[in-house]
Amino acid sequence: MRRPPQPVLRVGSAVALPLHPRSLLWALLLAAALLATAVATLGLGRLGIPPGALADALTGDATPAQEFVLHRLRGPRLATAVGTGAALGLAGALFQSVTRNPLGSPDVIGLNWGASAGAALVALALPGAVPVPLGALAGAVGAVLLVTTVTGTGLRHPGRLVVAGIGVAAMAASFTQFVVSALARDQASVLAAYVNGTLSARSWEHALTIWLVVALASPLLAALARPVALNEMGDELADGLGARAASTRTAAIAVSVVLSAAAVSVAGPIAFVSLTAPQIARRLTRACGPNLAVSALTGALVLAVADLAVQHLPLADGLPVGIATLAVGGVYLGFLLVREWRRGVL
Amino acid sequence: MTTTTAPPQARPLRTALLLGGALLALGTAVLLSLAVGSKSTPPGQVWAALTGTADPYTATVVASRYPRTVLGVVAGAALALSGLLMQSVTRNPLADPGLLGVNAGAMAAVVTATALLGPASTAAAVWWALPGALLAGLVAYAVGGRESSGATVRLVLAGAVVSAVLTAYVQAVALSMPEVFDHYRFWVVGSLAGRGFDVIAAVLPFVAVGALLAVLLAGGLNALALGEETAASLGAHPALVRSGGLAAATLLAAGATAAAGPIAFVGLAVPHVVRALAGGDVRRQLPLALLAGPALLLLSDVVGRFLLRPAELMVGVVTAFVGAPFLFAAVRRMRSAP
Repeated sequence: MRRPPQPVLRVGSAVALPLHPRSLLWALLLAAALLATAVATLGLGRLGIPPGALADALTGDATPAQEFVLHRLRGPRLATAVGTGAALGLAGALFQSVTRNPLGSPDVIGLNWGASAGAALVALALPGAVPVPLGALAGAVGAVLLVTTVTGTGLRHPGRLVVAGIGVAAMAASFTQFVVSALARDQASVLAAYVNGTLSARSWEHALTIWLVVALASPLLAALARPVALNEMGDELADGLGARAASTRTAAIAVSVVLSAAAVSVAGPIAFVSLTAPQIARRLTRACGPNLAVSALTGALVLAVADLAVQHLPLADGLPVGIATLAVGGVYLGFLLVREWRRGVL
Repeated sequence: MTTTTAPPQARPLRTALLLGGALLALGTAVLLSLAVGSKSTPPGQVWAALTGTADPYTATVVASRYPRTVLGVVAGAALALSGLLMQSVTRNPLADPGLLGVNAGAMAAVVTATALLGPASTAAAVWWALPGALLAGLVAYAVGGRESSGATVRLVLAGAVVSAVLTAYVQAVALSMPEVFDHYRFWVVGSLAGRGFDVIAAVLPFVAVGALLAVLLAGGLNALALGEETAASLGAHPALVRSGGLAAATLLAAGATAAAGPIAFVGLAVPHVVRALAGGDVRRQLPLALLAGPALLLLSDVVGRFLLRPAELMVGVVTAFVGAPFLFAAVRRMRSAP
């Protein structure tokens, strides 16, 4: 039985991009949901800007109170949430695709906690001397190297990878605790930022950092999408099709590490967005490959909704958003594990 | 009944040497724990204080370190035994009350009780901690247990999931009710500081019963290590031994957690060291673990006090750093095919 050929977007005779209508549809739906979440984030609560007044406020016609909410309180926080969620979703999609393993996700193998340890060390021990994102990057690279060394089989063996990741995460988290206890004694908010991940009190600087990194990574991601998708079919086949499996993997992991480190440096080690977003995206689109665009949108939506929830749900009021994603993502990970085991994958 | 011919590594001299060494380590750890603090006391004066010949000031300083030292001994022994039992019963080298979410379950139950009923006494907290620990362990076991090829990893992953969710819950409750949870960090990372003798007295019966059960089950656990059918034909009751072992492990973990908060990796590291030194006989492992667990926990606590003087680092932070390499060592020994 022949399947109908995949639709292709052609621009002139030089550009031909394969189109996946289902992915496109879900991307649009997710973007719409993200927009609705953004409007709700800015509009809910006592200081909220009603949706009707939002357009005016955005075009510069805001009252001082609205100005304050938009540019100091909620605007930067929302922009950071969306950017961070997208970065985490992208990092997770790349890593999971490269390890061919839903559990080979940056937050499961301890990468985010390594980044957080690096960020905490740099921010608290050498304030101002070294940019925090660089510390996060060093920590993330350290965590990946430690995990690959410890397993003895690189990133291939899913079981070893995950157990080693749990150990690396524990070490990094305890190192972070040490640094925070040593240098910022009894500041629960500082601890929450480096141990749980939080979006409270973010500034435009944070939003700019994460958006800049995502923007700079985009061309690389576009170039990597096809080879990474081919890689999923196995190294030999990918090599045979000219995708150069090993160098694709290295490049994808490097980009993923940079994105994770950037996300952690602005919002802390927010758990399980990297894990869940690509999985949700894959189920929505039913497309092969890393589903980069939809994963990014899903990650952004997940984090924006989680942040909205911790701002307004009665019991969650004021909690670090990382605690919410840890709880919800943990339950999801449980379901994922049971399902994978039934299929005998792990 | 167990085998009568002793394996070569189980010679009496070796056992005596090992026990002596462990005793020495524990003695050193206890002395250090009494000596090191924001103002350290020289060992000679600690000894003088112990024998009642020190000046009143030194005596008071050393006496203030008695409760946490005793707690370290009790909690360390409980955690090490709990880990040993779990690893023997599940035949999984990665089993640890911290990693399997049992400690987090105990903590979550205590936090729930404290949030609902106000700060309760530790005696009441243990009664809450028990069902919490049991439930968390059962969930981890139901999700990830079962004897099959990938069970080692599954159990750890399931435990990580249970721990993650429960830790998030504990953090959420502790952070949103600051008036109830005076020192938030204790509820998330275990610590030996600031607990009195009343706390130790409250958990001691549970730990003692757990330890007694462990001693009674040692022979059965040896038989179980040979496999279900062999154990049954040797006269052991596998189901009884298994459930008794898990009950004892739960009692021990719940007692330790109710007193000191969730401490991971002691229950993982100690049985690994003990097995490497004393071989596979549970009856030889038990006394060694009983000495090595407190030594490890107390030394970790001393390191935590030393690193940040005059402030201190919670012992749970130190044990995670000390214990993770043992996890890595176990990872290396996992079969290379999934």
